[in-house]
Amino acid sequence: MISSQPLSPIHGLLEAMHPLWSSETSEAKRVIRIDQRDEERAAILGLADLSHQNRAGAKGRGTAEWLSKLGVTIPSQANSWCPLPSGGLVARLGNTEFLVENDATLVEKIMQTQRAPGVYPVLHQDAAFGLCGARVNELLLQTCNIDFRMLDAQPSKVVLTSIAGVGITILSKTNGKYPSYRIWCDGTYGIYLWETLAEIATELGGGCIGVDAVQ
Amino acid sequence: MRLPPVHGEWIDRSKIITFTFEGKTYTGHPGDSITSALWAADIRVLGRSFKYHRPRGVLTMANHDVNALMQSTERLNVRADVTPLVDGMALTAVNTFGGLQSDKASILGAFSRFMPVGFYYKAFYTKQLFPMWERMFRTLTGLGKVDFSSPRVRTPKNYGFCDVLVIGAGPSGLAAALAAAAQGAEVLIVDENARVGGSAGYIGCTDSERAELHAAQLSEVQAHPRIRIMTSTYAAGYYADHWIPLVASDVMTKMRAQSIVVATGAYEQPSVFRNNDLPGIMMASGAQRLMHRYAVKPMQKVVVLTANADGYRAALDLAAFGVEVAAVVDLRAQTKIDPSESESQVNAKGMRILKGHCIAEAIAGKQGKSVAAVVVARLSASGEAEVAGQETIACDGLVMSVGWAPTANLLYQAGTRMRYEKSVEQFVPDVLPAGVFACGRVNGVHTLTARHADGRRAGSMAAAHAGFGVAELIEVAAESECPTHPWPIISHSSGKNFVDFDEDLQLIDFHNAVQEGFDNIELLKRFSTVGMGPSQGKHSNMIALRILARLTNKEPQQVGTTTARPFFHPVPMSLLGGRGFTPERRTPLHAKHDAHGACWMPAGVWQRPEYYRVEGQSRLECIHGEVAAVRTSIGIIDVGTLGKLEVIGPQAAEFLDRVYISKYANLKVGMTRYAVMCDESGVIIDDGVVGRLAEDHFYFTTTTSGAATIYRELSRLNTMWGLDCGIVNHTGAFAAVNLAGPRSREVLGTLTDTDLSSGAFPYLALREAKVAGIPARLMRVGFVGEWGYEIHVPANQGVALWEALMAAGQQFGIRPFGVEAQRLLRLEKGHIIISQDTDGLTSPLEVNLDWALKMDKPFFVGQRSLKIIASKERKQQLVGFELAADFSGTAPLECHLVIHKGEISGRVTSIAYSPNVGRNIGMAFVTPELAKQGTQIAIRITNGSEVKATVVRTPFYDPENLKQKETT
Repeated sequence: MISSQPLSPIHGLLEAMHPLWSSETSEAKRVIRIDQRDEERAAILGLADLSHQNRAGAKGRGTAEWLSKLGVTIPSQANSWCPLPSGGLVARLGNTEFLVENDATLVEKIMQTQRAPGVYPVLHQDAAFGLCGARVNELLLQTCNIDFRMLDAQPSKVVLTSIAGVGITILSKTNGKYPSYRIWCDGTYGIYLWETLAEIATELGGGCIGVDAVQ
Repeated sequence: MRLPPVHGEWIDRSKIITFTFEGKTYTGHPGDSITSALWAADIRVLGRSFKYHRPRGVLTMANHDVNALMQSTERLNVRADVTPLVDGMALTAVNTFGGLQSDKASILGAFSRFMPVGFYYKAFYTKQLFPMWERMFRTLTGLGKVDFSSPRVRTPKNYGFCDVLVIGAGPSGLAAALAAAAQGAEVLIVDENARVGGSAGYIGCTDSERAELHAAQLSEVQAHPRIRIMTSTYAAGYYADHWIPLVASDVMTKMRAQSIVVATGAYEQPSVFRNNDLPGIMMASGAQRLMHRYAVKPMQKVVVLTANADGYRAALDLAAFGVEVAAVVDLRAQTKIDPSESESQVNAKGMRILKGHCIAEAIAGKQGKSVAAVVVARLSASGEAEVAGQETIACDGLVMSVGWAPTANLLYQAGTRMRYEKSVEQFVPDVLPAGVFACGRVNGVHTLTARHADGRRAGSMAAAHAGFGVAELIEVAAESECPTHPWPIISHSSGKNFVDFDEDLQLIDFHNAVQEGFDNIELLKRFSTVGMGPSQGKHSNMIALRILARLTNKEPQQVGTTTARPFFHPVPMSLLGGRGFTPERRTPLHAKHDAHGACWMPAGVWQRPEYYRVEGQSRLECIHGEVAAVRTSIGIIDVGTLGKLEVIGPQAAEFLDRVYISKYANLKVGMTRYAVMCDESGVIIDDGVVGRLAEDHFYFTTTTSGAATIYRELSRLNTMWGLDCGIVNHTGAFAAVNLAGPRSREVLGTLTDTDLSSGAFPYLALREAKVAGIPARLMRVGFVGEWGYEIHVPANQGVALWEALMAAGQQFGIRPFGVEAQRLLRLEKGHIIISQDTDGLTSPLEVNLDWALKMDKPFFVGQRSLKIIASKERKQQLVGFELAADFSGTAPLECHLVIHKGEISGRVTSIAYSPNVGRNIGMAFVTPELAKQGTQIAIRITNGSEVKATVVRTPFYDPENLKQKETT
């Protein structure tokens, strides 16, 4: 029996770690836990795969209005994001481009709705990672020339930049003791970026974690 | 020898460290540098000079000279003066022949007259002797020996940020940091030394007042919450927008600051006199570093050569640590009316002071490995040592404190305009760039209290520039005496009075260079190599400049300085290399290819399977096996690397009509069409397939390597044209495979409900359907010349698609095929590959794409150029060719030249042996006269011989395209 269950761009790497997988078959597989030391690594520098999350996107001059009509509250400023009531988020990646990450219901609705004039749907098959822990900024300083102190001061900002040579979208999700970030990149760069970040994270005393440990 | 405990010493006497140097075992303490431990063990020869292999000892005890360069196992050119001693180190001096003590190459010194300045260049004048000189120079030159088996050290390269970066943690730098932090700025102090404090930690520390001032400043800095400190780290260069590479032993940090305070101090300068490089002759600051940092007595009996108050302080320090001061030799005939405080103290202690004197020469001890005495002479008004009345003073050491040269490299790199300030005989900043500030000795301020004030001034201004507080106006007192002698250079008829210790350049070399016409500072530098050694002229550039000024009757300001470029201080290759970031894209099927034994090849930023290994078969057999599977049954190739773009909107068709050479406004929904893109000059830059999903919606592919650049270019054009359409890059969002072969329809039919019949789904049609339950876009394409489908699905279901197709195709022996098989298959069909069968000058007309070229369109990119090209005679034409069926020799390769009448008449772009055609087939550019079918062409192969080929019609396989037509 061949399963058509969606897989993360880094599925092979995750599988090699023999993690604890989610049991739902109706959604993309996700790693719940790598091992018993997930929380310990997360406190120092945790790297989690969040590619399984449902996502939709659109761009074009009509997109803001189109999304609003679908009941999606959008950020008023370019390069900013806001949370959605059901736990997801909407990121405004420019004046007219949006990324919605949320539960399947809203995402499906966006993807199935007939596009309006000036709306160009974007299929998001990104690799999405979570980074958290006390030393996360050290990792970012090794890979990116952005001063992420700026994001701490303006937590609603979305930054489009590159880390380790790969174009990414990043935002701060810090709301606890340690900094926490979400990163999206083109899925075909996922393996390279994961391996690069995991290597540095491990050098700094952290490493890969499951989604349950992401702060 | 080691002194009794010294207040503030850096060493930990409670522990002993053992190491070897040149095969002998020594001990030291944690906190010692390699040199301090050896000097404490009374080792005086630490290295050999580069050219004459002269014995060398301590010169600066700083990270500035290279007298003591060593090799520590695979680590090359370790700077022993500042490299911390580590237990178990095994050290050798670099650049010796037979060891440090009995270096056979020291004989070269006897032939110095045959190696005048510029002899390197002159040696190569004679072509016949070039190889001999090259071999000799390669043998004799070089420093450490590279061990090519050394493991790669993957050091991180950090980015860093701060409001104010203070470079230099001496008195002025620390004062600047405190002032900036007081105004609210986040301050980073960086210093090359292991501890902060700079010269305040070793110059005049026997003076309790100075010591207390120093201690108070240190405490304040260390306690300040907004001040960070990085020690053992040097700022190696300046780049625009205040980017500074900070280099530590195991990491480079690319620091970005809002403003910068350069408090880098100054290099103490040597005096030039005969034998001024003997072990035991050192800078006064070098001796003071030895005493105060490492508690090492530099010598037993010293002569102090000075021209400023610092020299007198050095004399006091040396005496305080039990060194017998035989004399203080002052180049100045008289200092000023009131002697400096330190001079008065020296006087009061009854030390002998010889004013208006110089060192005429140093007398070498045994084998030139030490100094035994110095010859002191009166200094004439013209700066020469007077012969009459010379006195020889026995000593085992001489310290020099005759002046300072500003450590202004970063200021120069930042674009600072410098001026020569006569009152301090040094260059000082005249006009600083915005956000760059200077203070302390580099700013021409040498007195301790003035340096504090100057630091506060610069720190306050830097903070204000970064947006913190208001710049405070602080008065800085002028220097009461000139700290630098303008001519500490004594000629000698027997030479060996060195100006550049790295390159063994003597005073006479400069005379000769100028005489030969190299009388410009940039020319002089290159001809003489002054300042081009590892020290980068820290102790020679200023002296060279003074010499050139005197020889050309100019002022130092007129001579100017050489161009300062980053890095001004050598940076280890491991740090420059660091952790390399080489992004690599992998399709969602990467793991599947691995599982099938893919042999990988790079394709731009992608990795693609070249072919799939089969046990017991050669590479070529594997490739031919894959080709056979496609031709006879079914094969599958991952084409997910193709660029996959969409253009949506009412003017989408017009947009495509403008960017491609063919027409798309008349393309029916559900159909595809080959697409060729040119640049403005009519040169082919990309190709692909355009499919129409709806009236206002097109899905199209680009070449693998072109995806990113084509998307950028199309976005640029769309912005410029302002058409009502949008472009979306879905390259990474879709997985794609090409299912090809006579069995492909049968296999696909088991996985989809879509009607795959020729009528419902004809050649070049496009359909949206579900395959194995996965939403897919299907295109009937024929790149490899068989019935086939390109199937595009969301990337996260690519693996599921692959598994389904492989399972369904199993009954027909489905084989994955790689890039090499695809190349051969398409060659058989005569299909070109952009950038393989075209180059940066190829127009569609030259590669037989006239049929795709719709010149009757109102406009497309490159149209105007193509009209011009079409009106001119063609220079080349792409043709198919084949070798004789019975050809058995060495076949030509791609890029081999076509030769006609002894001239180059073209080149091979593609060639391979085709099992289906039964001979070698290929494509080549040839001149139009050779393009006619049946023409014999000659291809010159690597060994120079020529292979005959015949120009033939393409395609080589299925010329009537019957494979795309329904036969049942």
